[in-house]
Amino acid sequence: MSYKIPMGPFHPGLEEPYKLDMICEGETVTEAKLHIGFNFRGIEHLAETRNYIQVIALMERVCGICSFIHTLTLCQAMEKLTGLEPPPRAKYIRVVMGELERLHSHVLWAGIAAKLMGFKTMFMTCFELREKVMDVLQAISGNRVNYSMNRVGGVNRDIDDPLALVGLVDALEREMVKTVIPIFTTSHTALSRCAGIGVLTHEKAISCGTVGPVARASGVGQDLRRDAPYAAYDEMQFEVPVQPDGDVKARLLVRALEILESCKILRQALTKIPPGEFYTGDGKFNFVTGTAFSRVEAPRGEVMYSVSWKEHARNPARVHVRTPTFANMPAIRYMVMGARLADTPLIQASIDPCYSCTDR
Amino acid sequence: MSTVETIPEVFAASEPNTENNGVYWFNYDGLKVRELARAMNAVQARFVTITAYQLPKDEGFRLEYHWDLAGRLLGFTFDLTGSSIESIYDLCEAVDWIEREIHEGFAIDFVGRDYEPLLLKPGDTIGVNMREVAVTGKEVAK
Repeated sequence: MSYKIPMGPFHPGLEEPYKLDMICEGETVTEAKLHIGFNFRGIEHLAETRNYIQVIALMERVCGICSFIHTLTLCQAMEKLTGLEPPPRAKYIRVVMGELERLHSHVLWAGIAAKLMGFKTMFMTCFELREKVMDVLQAISGNRVNYSMNRVGGVNRDIDDPLALVGLVDALEREMVKTVIPIFTTSHTALSRCAGIGVLTHEKAISCGTVGPVARASGVGQDLRRDAPYAAYDEMQFEVPVQPDGDVKARLLVRALEILESCKILRQALTKIPPGEFYTGDGKFNFVTGTAFSRVEAPRGEVMYSVSWKEHARNPARVHVRTPTFANMPAIRYMVMGARLADTPLIQASIDPCYSCTDR
Repeated sequence: MSTVETIPEVFAASEPNTENNGVYWFNYDGLKVRELARAMNAVQARFVTITAYQLPKDEGFRLEYHWDLAGRLLGFTFDLTGSSIESIYDLCEAVDWIEREIHEGFAIDFVGRDYEPLLLKPGDTIGVNMREVAVTGKEVAK
């Protein structure tokens, strides 16, 4: 006999409001439907009522975790419409902030995944590490969540002593290599909850148009930092971790390896950061009529902005945002099919969903 | 392996692309959206998104479809005189949510698919131009 289990929109196993209707045979999920939009905010429409300074502050609030990435993507699009090219130092600072945000996001996700596995000690360890990353972000920007770092033509704040941050990156990497990665990859608790669970096949990952670590954990080797470099990524040496299995363990491994690659990128950016200005111009510029596009590899995958402006207009004519969770979330229904009901919260969490982004 | 340069061959067209602000545009007269979706599947491009624009006065809507091909963003524009276009959901399942979102936000009908459940707003009216609701306070169902 089959029965329907509604999970959400408000549920202890979910971090944010969405709903998963699952059809089950015994303990096995046979079909699932997803519902989103419970907190839809209409930010794209609201953006059309904001000027070029206000719109940056607004889009920073699309997502609390990758707030820097959203303003970076928006500013890159606006820079195409104004003809402003950020100076090299600003591009390096953008790389540093982007990678710190990736570390923050991945460590936060590891903590939440550990909690859902019933591995509370690991949750505490991950959140302790996350605090250290947030301390670095605060040291640079003065803020722990919405950093207000980006502006059209560069960044708002310089990094006064980049080399002082290298030691913090080294300490973080040591802790990841010594504690977090070995425990996630060898402990029976973690493996029994992750290996072979929530599989997304390579074919389905492609047909669903998945992005970021979700795609890379299903053998799809795409990463905009390498494939379509922006900021100063074309000057960085790094690998793009890809795992073929498509299960929760593969998604965990991809993020763990990405943390190490982020540390590698951070070390390069902090030691090679060029001297000079960190923004271009005197704050006065004109937009040309047109639409510009920008894409950035956020911690969860590709973010795309299209921004339309009319010359002499105060506000953008249109801002469209495609967030990574919007691309990844529909794949959940394939991941939970055939899974045990008890595994579904962890499977959903394994894509690192962000409903703040999705309900933009 | 297809590249941006070989895309015109896929449509048997002679015009090259136009690169503008990071997008490679291919705008061919008479191109049907389903023909486009089949071609993008054939070259193994990854669907990215559709951006909808409401044009001034009663000029209708513009839809911009985007695919990624080996890190390059491809763009295809469709101007709608009315408020409907063929759905490509059966050819490209990645368009599901964005087609539904545009249907719910702009009241554009993607012909040949179902729209349930609602994504963006509570209630039972599917296909309301939310921009017009924001201006007039009145729902205009299509």
